[in-house]
Amino acid sequence: MNDFLINLANHMNYIAAIALFVIGLYTVLTHSNLLKKVIGINIMETSVFLFFVSIGFVNDGSSPIIDLGSLGKIYVNPVPSALILTGIVVAVSITAYSLSLIIRLYKAYGTMDLDEIMAMRSEVNHD
Amino acid sequence: MIGKSKHQPGKHAVEDRVFPKFNIFSINSITVMIVTVFILGYFILLTQSDVGLTILGYKVVFLERIIKFFVDLKQLPLLIIAVPLVGGVIEWAQGRKSDDTRDITVVYTTFVTLILVLAMYPHALDGTLTYWLKDVLGFGLSFKVDMLSLTLAMTTSILWLPVMIYSHKYMLHENHRSRFYFFMSLTHSAILGTVMAGDLFTMFLFFEIMTFSSYMLVSHSESNDSLKAGYSYLYIGVLGGLAILLGMILLSVFTGNLSFIPMADQLAKMGSFRYVVIGLIMFGFSIKAGMAPVHVWLPKAHPVAPTPASALLSGVMIKIGAYGVLRVATTYLFPASFQITDYKDALWSVSKSFGSGLIWLGIITMAIGVFMALQQSNIKRMLAYHSVSQMGYIVLGIGVAVYLGYKGAMGYSGAMYHIINHALFKSLLFMVAGVVYLYTHQLDMYKLGGLWKRLPFTALICLIAAFGITGMPGFNGFISKSILHHAIIEAYQYGSPSFRGAEIIFNIISAGTVCSFLKLFGFVFLGKEKTTHYSKQSFKTMEMAMAAIAVLIIFIGLQPEYLMNAFIIPAVRAVTYDPAFIDKYVVGLKYFTSSALIEMAGIYALGIAIFVAGIRFDLFHIHFPKWMNIEYLVFFPINKILQLTCYLLGNCKTDADVIGQSKGFVNPFRDDAFADHPRTLSFMNRLVMTADLFTHRYENALIKGDVLIYTVIVTIALIALVIFR
Amino acid sequence: MIKHIPILVQVALLSMAVLIPLLRGNKAAKSKGITVALLFISSVFLLILIRDVRDNGAFVYNFGNYESYIGIQYSVNIFSAFMSFFVITLALIIMIFSTKDIDHEISRQSISQYYTLVLILLFSMVGMIFTNDLFNMYVFMEILSLTSCAIISVKSKKENYLAALRYLVLNTIGSLSVLLGIALLYMVSGHLNMSLMGQSISLIWQLYPTNILIATGFMLVGFAIKAAVFPMHIWLPDAHSNAPTPSSALLSSLVVKIYVFAVYKILFDVLGKDIVVGLGIPGVIAVFAASGMLFGSIFAIGQKDIKRMLAYSSVAQIGYIFLGLSLMTEAGLAAGLFHVVSHGLMKTALFLSAGSIIYYRNKRDIRQLDGIGVEMPVTMVVFAIAAMGMIGIPGTNGFMSKLYLSFAVLGAGQPLLLGVILLSSYLNAVYYLPIIISAFLKEPKSKNITMQVEVLPWPMLLALVTVGILCLLTGFYPKLVMDIVTQAAKIFLSA
Repeated sequence: MNDFLINLANHMNYIAAIALFVIGLYTVLTHSNLLKKVIGINIMETSVFLFFVSIGFVNDGSSPIIDLGSLGKIYVNPVPSALILTGIVVAVSITAYSLSLIIRLYKAYGTMDLDEIMAMRSEVNHD
Repeated sequence: MIGKSKHQPGKHAVEDRVFPKFNIFSINSITVMIVTVFILGYFILLTQSDVGLTILGYKVVFLERIIKFFVDLKQLPLLIIAVPLVGGVIEWAQGRKSDDTRDITVVYTTFVTLILVLAMYPHALDGTLTYWLKDVLGFGLSFKVDMLSLTLAMTTSILWLPVMIYSHKYMLHENHRSRFYFFMSLTHSAILGTVMAGDLFTMFLFFEIMTFSSYMLVSHSESNDSLKAGYSYLYIGVLGGLAILLGMILLSVFTGNLSFIPMADQLAKMGSFRYVVIGLIMFGFSIKAGMAPVHVWLPKAHPVAPTPASALLSGVMIKIGAYGVLRVATTYLFPASFQITDYKDALWSVSKSFGSGLIWLGIITMAIGVFMALQQSNIKRMLAYHSVSQMGYIVLGIGVAVYLGYKGAMGYSGAMYHIINHALFKSLLFMVAGVVYLYTHQLDMYKLGGLWKRLPFTALICLIAAFGITGMPGFNGFISKSILHHAIIEAYQYGSPSFRGAEIIFNIISAGTVCSFLKLFGFVFLGKEKTTHYSKQSFKTMEMAMAAIAVLIIFIGLQPEYLMNAFIIPAVRAVTYDPAFIDKYVVGLKYFTSSALIEMAGIYALGIAIFVAGIRFDLFHIHFPKWMNIEYLVFFPINKILQLTCYLLGNCKTDADVIGQSKGFVNPFRDDAFADHPRTLSFMNRLVMTADLFTHRYENALIKGDVLIYTVIVTIALIALVIFR
Repeated sequence: MIKHIPILVQVALLSMAVLIPLLRGNKAAKSKGITVALLFISSVFLLILIRDVRDNGAFVYNFGNYESYIGIQYSVNIFSAFMSFFVITLALIIMIFSTKDIDHEISRQSISQYYTLVLILLFSMVGMIFTNDLFNMYVFMEILSLTSCAIISVKSKKENYLAALRYLVLNTIGSLSVLLGIALLYMVSGHLNMSLMGQSISLIWQLYPTNILIATGFMLVGFAIKAAVFPMHIWLPDAHSNAPTPSSALLSSLVVKIYVFAVYKILFDVLGKDIVVGLGIPGVIAVFAASGMLFGSIFAIGQKDIKRMLAYSSVAQIGYIFLGLSLMTEAGLAAGLFHVVSHGLMKTALFLSAGSIIYYRNKRDIRQLDGIGVEMPVTMVVFAIAAMGMIGIPGTNGFMSKLYLSFAVLGAGQPLLLGVILLSSYLNAVYYLPIIISAFLKEPKSKNITMQVEVLPWPMLLALVTVGILCLLTGFYPKLVMDIVTQAAKIFLSA
């Protein structure tokens, strides 16, 4: 039991990432409100970023600033953090773009609910 | 039922004007005709004896150099294909200005093509006319002209010239003339390419081009009937093309070589898979040849095309299908001559099985053709069914050529001879029908009569053609039917005795043909006059063109040795047949023996008897019940699958439900007239309706579930990978 | 100097894209001119690059001269040089078409914004073709997905917004799967460079197989969404049919293919052929590809809108490409890449001619296109040539790619797939031929038409005729493309 809990605590980042991914995916799947879908995608993105950053951690590593004095010092891997900065920018721009699309959709259809929009569209299509 | 198509002349048509007898077109065409007659006569002299080019004296050196240049030209096949193509483009450009200049260009282009085809004779005879075009279409195109190809090319070109002269007057009553001539030239080019091909790939290329360009001829008049017939023609043609493609790919993978060389040893190594491969290729070609049971497009397509197009479609194009079957059967299925010793060698078993199948299919085709032809009242539809039946004769000949293996030379010659003959008399018959239509605007033979007084020359031509097709001694049909009869007798002499029945059916069908043409000639030309509306035109150029073909028919009928010695026997010798057999039985064949003449007389008597019985007991108006639709039966398994799919989609227990539910969708094959009986739904109509229902049911559901599909697939993929790796 | 051409082309595209919003005056006309000129110059430079690679061999280009294990690397070989040349040239043709067409589709202020977006799109496409680094590929992929959604929604109609939003949601989910896969692979190998990872993958496979398995699953499904493999093609009909015509052409012929290249790189450079075959992935891809080929055509038969029908046809053709990929032989990969090129040409021709019809007549419904071949002969002839290619008539590039694919299928020992290929050819004939027939052979519904030589502005005509001639040229002389593509396949298989 102890080992199991220790294992769990050691790998908490992976479990959190997977849990967040599933929660985000579930949100996108089940909610029909467009805004909630965007939030769901944001949660998914956060989960992947969490995962990526957390794999950069090295046990007993110090922050990645070179100390020319002591050699053989272990540093935490700085690369994932740098990569994820780019990723966060991408996520923000996607969110911004999708929010502006939702505003336009609301102006055009009068609702933010995807099911209602699909119903309105299929009425128009069947001519 | 298509019946008589209501033909209205379009707004650009030139109506019943009375034309001056000698306008520029007729002068040019008469000149071309006379020159052609001279050149053909000269050609016959050249091939019979080594008289050389010394007749004309000193002017001949210049001529001789030109002729030698063309005869020795390596790229001659390519040039022959290019000439009608370029001519077609020029014709379309000129058609905007004047009908006459365009038609004169057409005639001259056809004339030049004919001369070039004649120039191929010396090298085709010694077998050195090959040409290889590298890298085109990835695998290169290869051309090889032997005597069989040359015979077909010459038949095509010699026939094309009179038909083009004929069509000038006829097409003035139709719209879109320039388009018609362009696609005619394209078809001519494609047909020449197909017969000159040296491997199956090149033949396939030109075959597909031919299918698509002749489609434009079939649906030329743009009426509903022609579009429907066109759809049927096109889709069955595409199906045939795909079958040939599949067979070709499989053959290429197994034998690595697609050129027309004997391959029986490699085929024998493939085991029973060879039936699939060769069967697919033959299926594709036999669709074009109008062989039963896939002949269903022929009676729909040939009546709705304009008459010159029908003449050439029936006269030449279906022969190309037969040529394909003949070529594939006698090269791929035959062993090379150094590989066998005699007639009973084991390698012949490859061709034996195909041969017997072809013989029986030929018999069935003949029977269906004649039987249906006797029921028709529309002249062109009757002639189309006769095309089916005569193709049955040709397929029978091919079957014997393949079945008897080493001794099949008689069947081969019979098939070749009948190809030439049928081209001549069938196109002549269509041209006669065209003249009758122009004169009376009527194609129903029961509504015509007594035309021999008003169209005496046409009646004479029709009589000559009818004698040709029924096999009157002295005309060409007699020769080819005799050879085919000898072939069938050999089939049960050297092969299985079951072909005795085939010979009996052969005779009965010949009698049926006699009866049918007696009916045609009697109802149209003899008897009392029934219609009163007659056109005031004269048909001199058309009659001249028809006369040219009629002369050929009589010439071939009275001098069969010329055709046999100059063309057919060299072609037969190029195939792996027993030379001793050829020399003994085929070379010195006596045609006008008393037994043959007596037999012919017997068949004629039988034919007259059937005709009299038919008139007495009114046997010519049998109407089939609607459920006996042959197209439904041919595509039976696919139709059943489609019906099952509709049933599974829910709510569609009967075909009426299906029709009702798919009313709102796009369906270009929809035909409201046929909604009364479900079996008459065309196969394409049913296919599109099923697809429409499927789309309607599932498209929106799929769109709604996009993320869900992703989730499901990711989960399944992960589970499958991690657990089952 | 020649070594720098890949990045120079990209820098030029990006800087011009940023410059366009700063223009003054007649922004629309200036941005059109800049785009066309820039694309023309880039394609000339890329042609020089192809010559150089063919003479001197492939090379790698390290950014900032950092070594491959810490820096970003571009891999320039015959495959990437030729494909980027193809992308830029086809985009050039489409942009020439769009100079006249775009005025009718979007509002005047948006035109210069449209060209900015297109230039950024091309920038990311060229980047994705050349790159040899996984995260770099992810960045370019995100830029590509954003701009491809943007060029759909630049037209302000409500269907476009919905189509763009759905495309965006699905694209993002796909990118996140890919990023998760990249993370898993980085976790165990420490490399982001594809070649280095490919070299060390066999060692990693012994130590940490689960990571590689999960990563493969996520990455392949992610790319499958973006490459519109059936059944994850759902976004494609809405997106490609509602977008303005140049965008549809760009999306259908180019954007989707870039993801196909990414799958090629992942499967062959990163994972290596042995692992992929050992996992049984080719069989799964073949099943999805074959079902895509059949169902894409079946869905296309019932469509009323011509662009939607063409979009479903794209789904079917992408199935062909993945079928070639799933064979895992040199002939199969080469056939798949050849179909990328030929489908790009044919689909561009089809979309551009459909767009011309909509430009001139404002009609999208198939049932109303009767007799249009008389008014717009050149357009319909180009449409007919491309449709013949789709059906598989000899003489067109579609026939050659079907032939190569059939030989590859038989060479890999899967005769059943041959029947699927031919069946889908026949289904293609079912929905393409009636359009051509009714365009040329039926009477138009309105009676007041006159036969003119051409009614379209000359840029549109030029683009149509060029792409039609290219279709026929590659149909009659496929060796031009096939040689290059076979060499590219060899490179993939030997990596």
